[in-house]
Amino acid sequence: MKACARFRPMIGHRPGELPAGDARELADHLAGCEACRAFAADVEATTGLVAEALLARAAQRDFAPFVDQVMARVEAARAPGVLGWLSARRRALVGLLVPALAALALIVYVLQQDGGTGAALVQVTAEGEATTVIETPDGPIVLLAPEEST
Amino acid sequence: MSLAPGRAAAAILGLTLALVPFAARAEVPVGVRVIKGSRHGPAQVDPRLSDLKRQLSPLAYVRWDQLSERKVVLVHGKTEFVELPGGDTVGVTLEEHRGNVVTLEVALTQRNTQSRVTVQKGQRIVHGVVPEKNGEAVFIVLTGWP
Amino acid sequence: MEADEELVSLAKAGDARAFRELVVRYQRKVYAVALGIVKDPDLAWDVAQEAFVRVHRRLDTFEGKAAFSTWLFRVATHLAIDAVRKERTSRRQDVDDTDEAAMAEGGEGILATALGNDPRENALRRELAGEIERALARLTPDHRAILVLREVEGLTYEELAERLEIPKGTVMSRLFHARKKMQAELRRYAGIAAPEGTEETS
Repeated sequence: MKACARFRPMIGHRPGELPAGDARELADHLAGCEACRAFAADVEATTGLVAEALLARAAQRDFAPFVDQVMARVEAARAPGVLGWLSARRRALVGLLVPALAALALIVYVLQQDGGTGAALVQVTAEGEATTVIETPDGPIVLLAPEEST
Repeated sequence: MSLAPGRAAAAILGLTLALVPFAARAEVPVGVRVIKGSRHGPAQVDPRLSDLKRQLSPLAYVRWDQLSERKVVLVHGKTEFVELPGGDTVGVTLEEHRGNVVTLEVALTQRNTQSRVTVQKGQRIVHGVVPEKNGEAVFIVLTGWP
Repeated sequence: MEADEELVSLAKAGDARAFRELVVRYQRKVYAVALGIVKDPDLAWDVAQEAFVRVHRRLDTFEGKAAFSTWLFRVATHLAIDAVRKERTSRRQDVDDTDEAAMAEGGEGILATALGNDPRENALRRELAGEIERALARLTPDHRAILVLREVEGLTYEELAERLEIPKGTVMSRLFHARKKMQAELRRYAGIAAPEGTEETS
């Protein structure tokens, strides 16, 4: 039994993973030990099942959005802050408001890409806040400044 | 001018209608959604928000959930109030409406912020309503003629 | 098809297409490793993506001494193990002793008998694949990790020692215990699923 305690963890080794002496002794032990032989047979029978099962799960899952999501996270990680990243495809510049003095109202005009000033599509009045507007083809995003941490 | 009376009446009526500004008839159905963006994963977008994926993509939030949804009919000058998580409310008012273009005012009651935003049919307004805290922020999404 | 090294060079120079190619090439396998360790598919998805993000961020420090995939899987392993540690409420230590008590369990050989000799044709083997995840989930995170890395990524004892930062002797005994527990779970299922008086299939 003591021998089994030494040899069983060696079962399942691949060529070159055991020192030659150990590999020989393991073979000798297996020749004479039915219980360890049976254990080795089970290891052999189940080897690869874990990989099969997990890779099958991965194959079943829809990975179509994966790479886009990774790239979005890459970009977001690049520019910390609420804005994340602005794609070059966006048509307008961002109007960034600086914090206003308490009584002042600020209005932001969003410029069109051609440099002209379109009719003010977005006007934000905010007292004492920094507010950001992003104009996208699908419509504007108005962002509030993050809360100060308490 | 010698029009038959009936036709004259019709002509006058037609002219009057043409003169009435569209805005007076202003009644615009608006879809209102309250959504939450989070920097913490897993990166996923609520399937009900899939129409917003492209519009939201400039933002750093990787996870989006829809908190509530309803449809309202905005009438010119009347403010519709929407409940937000945390107890605040946001008021949405129809300011102007011309054909496929609508101007809404979004006002946060607890913060002194009012936005006047003009969009076309097919566009959506995404407006912050609860600023980011612990990596999460809440927005309201307004869609004219949803 | 470009080799990993070529894509990595291009990606280091800022070629987004090259990096995307690397992501697509390894996404499923990274996910599979993460899934084996963290169990939850959504968390595995998140961990897998974060692994690529981290690798991208440190591309300029990658010198190409080791294979790109080794680096990628190393990052994924650490993220997965960290993710599991955060979710762990109990702090049971694995006791991977190989003593006589650990030997005396009985039941050896049932799986080999039930599964037969040809792995590809065996219906029970296919059924068992479904049970694997359930069985894996019952293992401790350390046991799951070493089994997954051995089988999915194919690491050697030496590589496992390096990846998990444990001595080589511990690698073998931990693998042994992980296998033992896994087999005990599978045996229960095979014992139920195999018909009465199963003959040895040849």
